Amino acid sequence: MRYEIRVDGQMSETLAKSFPELNHVVLAGQTILFGPVVDEAHLYGLVARCQSLGLRIVEMRRQPE
Amino acid sequence: MVTAEPSRPVTAAAGVDPLGAPYLPGRFAIPARPPTFLRRRRLHRHLDVGRTTPLTMVNGAAGAGKTLLVADWAASLDEPVVWLTSDAGQTPGLFWAYLLEALHHHGVLEPAEVGFPADAHRVDRKLLARLAVALAARERPVVVVLDEYDRVTDPAVSEQVEFVLRHAGRGLHLLLVTRTEPLLPLHRHRAAGTLTEIRNAELAFTPEETVGLLALHGLELSVAAAAALVERTGGWAAGLRLCALAAREADDPEAYLKEFEAGQSTVADYLLGEVLKRQPAETQDLLLRVSVLDRFSPVLANTLTGRLDAEPILDGLRRQNAFVESLGHSWYRLHPLFGEILRSQLEVTRPGLRPLLHRRAARWLRRSGYLPEALAHGAAAGDWEFTAAALVDDLAIGQLFTGLRAEGLADLFSGMAPETTSPAAELVRAARALNHHDLGRGLAHLHHAERTLAAEASDPAAAQLSCALLEAHAARLTGAPGRAEKAARSARHLQGEVPAQLLEQHPELNALLLTHLGTTHLWAGRFQDARAALDAVVASPAGAATALPRQASLSHLALIDYLDGWLDRAERKALAALTETERYGLPPSSGSSVGHLVRAAVAVERDELDEAQSLLDEAAVSAPAGPDDPVTAAGRALTTARLRLAQGDAPAALSAAEPAITADVVSPWERGQAAAIACSAHLAEGRPETAARALLGAPDDQAACAVEAARALLAVGHPGPAIEMLDAVPPEGEAGPAVTVPALLVRAQACDQAGDPATARRILTRALLDARRERLRRPFLEARPWVLRLLATDPQDGLAEGWLLRGALPTTAGPLVVEELSARERDVLARLAQMMSTEEIAADLYVSVNTVKTHLKGIFRKLAVNRRTDAVRRARELGLL
Repeated sequence: MRYEIRVDGQMSETLAKSFPELNHVVLAGQTILFGPVVDEAHLYGLVARCQSLGLRIVEMRRQPE
Repeated sequence: MVTAEPSRPVTAAAGVDPLGAPYLPGRFAIPARPPTFLRRRRLHRHLDVGRTTPLTMVNGAAGAGKTLLVADWAASLDEPVVWLTSDAGQTPGLFWAYLLEALHHHGVLEPAEVGFPADAHRVDRKLLARLAVALAARERPVVVVLDEYDRVTDPAVSEQVEFVLRHAGRGLHLLLVTRTEPLLPLHRHRAAGTLTEIRNAELAFTPEETVGLLALHGLELSVAAAAALVERTGGWAAGLRLCALAAREADDPEAYLKEFEAGQSTVADYLLGEVLKRQPAETQDLLLRVSVLDRFSPVLANTLTGRLDAEPILDGLRRQNAFVESLGHSWYRLHPLFGEILRSQLEVTRPGLRPLLHRRAARWLRRSGYLPEALAHGAAAGDWEFTAAALVDDLAIGQLFTGLRAEGLADLFSGMAPETTSPAAELVRAARALNHHDLGRGLAHLHHAERTLAAEASDPAAAQLSCALLEAHAARLTGAPGRAEKAARSARHLQGEVPAQLLEQHPELNALLLTHLGTTHLWAGRFQDARAALDAVVASPAGAATALPRQASLSHLALIDYLDGWLDRAERKALAALTETERYGLPPSSGSSVGHLVRAAVAVERDELDEAQSLLDEAAVSAPAGPDDPVTAAGRALTTARLRLAQGDAPAALSAAEPAITADVVSPWERGQAAAIACSAHLAEGRPETAARALLGAPDDQAACAVEAARALLAVGHPGPAIEMLDAVPPEGEAGPAVTVPALLVRAQACDQAGDPATARRILTRALLDARRERLRRPFLEARPWVLRLLATDPQDGLAEGWLLRGALPTTAGPLVVEELSARERDVLARLAQMMSTEEIAADLYVSVNTVKTHLKGIFRKLAVNRRTDAVRRARELGLL
């Protein structure tokens, strides 16, 4: 499965390293993290990681393969 | 205020330590509020209102100010508040052990009142019920705060919390502080009005509160400017604090805040970068390095930085409320939010440093006596040689087998690199294999460790002692008494060479050793030696660490009593062993299956066959994975065989009595009992010659065999030799009714056959007297026709009534019903009389064919017949039809 997670704010390169398994692209005022997600557990782990980094998730969706 | 040495764990003084290791301080302490903390009345009022509901949940994002809010409120109460900070990945056993310890620590509960869980993975419902009852009995509710409840991810824990909450009634006010929605049935609490919720929106700072907070940091701000800041940060407490810190350092705070408001970066990221960048290089370095630790003291931080300045730096950071939180006792932790960011910074800026930091932390923690944390960091560093040595040198190898940490330790070492071949690592591997009853691998690793140890010049007593423990374990699995004794001897010798304090800290080591020794003696039939070793384990102080060996020892003592013929004693001990299970919430173990087996065997002797079957099933359920040790295997086989025999299924008894047990030495009682059962089965089938042959290979000194031999002689009409056979059995002072009564009955029968009915009656009286106390019925039922005939002519002053004979004796001599038929058995019997087949009866009664067969067996047994036609004929004679 591939997901994209859109969070509020522009992430620094250092912070983006907290998601080494995902790519990221910084837009105006938002950052999109995207890439392969192994399973549900991994997905929840990513959500928890966002929370513990104080990131606000704006949108999260599964990408077509 | 801050001391150089880390304070010893706060619970050590309390003397109760269910985990067998000191706690890192801070877990039970209400976190201190920094000087810049802003008390917010509206939230305090909401928490006060919440005390009218049993459950309050404070749910908000990281850094929303939850913990400090609740800590400030809790500190303002004039009653003790039980505070517990949850740990990640906690299993139910550990969670409840910590919570109970917290309750004891605050004097809410007496340790003896509720008990402790002994296994990390499960908690007995009864333990939780005892806790709820103890709480419900309180006059004033106790306030319990579970901080960071989001780290509790096991649904079982939440289900158990709900159970205690529901049953503690008004005795408990529970406060959950969490980042995520807990798995409690919140909708039900909401509907019932039993939940107070304070969520993110309510936790967010208002512009007015923001003005107050920034004022504490020395910044003057208008409400309008504060509103813009609240807009940007969402009223997020951590964001506002960092913002204040960064602004204070800036040349023009107002302009700085404006700039921040207009920015587009993620709040935490930006602010952390800003604030960290403004810290001195030493502070930055320290923060990055301690990010690998959950909790740390200044000394530990110094160990990681290689400098000596941690104390002033940490104290300064604490005062600023930046990055670190004080846990009291001069221990700190990183604010959870920054821990994560700092760890990723560490990876980016100092790649490769992390394992080194873990290694240093592990060594310091080991020196300071925090073994579990030392092991965790050793494993994280991949330094297996150190980690295994830490476990072995601490004499903690027994914790792989028993106690709350067993599962966690096994998991930790499951990642051990195969190239680590130090003796300690090999010992750990051996212990893990033996724990899974994998004898081959266990011995291979053990012998490799022993060879390496022998080759080394130094003589590490702790490792040698660990070897002895594992040797004894292997001896138990192989039924090798010589080997067990040798291990015990060398252990006794080595115990003088290790620090006494270590032995005291690890009571499980000696308890396990003695249990292995005792059960191995038991296998070899040396009951006295076995008793001495097992009694010593039972007499040792109770505790979670030794609960498993204590339970195993009690079960095996019960087995000895059963084999000696004392049913009541055996049952009492087996029940005590199972109580031990309940008290500590133990998992199924070989110890508990022996306990069930003894109870099943006692039930067979009392002719409570349904009970026996269900206990036997329970023993099978509680059996651990892997092959049984010889004692358990023998106990299972012999009990099953006796039950089948009692159920009238002689062929099944014969095949059950011959288990494939591999052991170094032959067990005299196992062989004797098996032969006696085989003999009895052949006699029941009417084959006295085969029966006598079954006894040929049996050991000489087994009373059960002599009794069966006498019965076989009697069956072929030789009462004289039968009596001689019984006379040859050495008188056993220790033997109880279950051993002596069968012999008395055969002797009485022999006397009767030899034409001496007076002596026969006298002996029968004695047998009845002896058996009555223990409700020992089986030997009389085996000699049923003869006993009943004798009782019919001479009721023996009613000695048999009430327990052996149910209902009054008819006056006519002849076959009698010993047991009443059940209603269902009468139904089956009535249809049998109508010449219906089993299938037809089953269809007629709407039951399965197997059920009908079970009823038929019951009817045959109670009427003492073997065929359907006989059953009908006997039933007609008795007026049952």
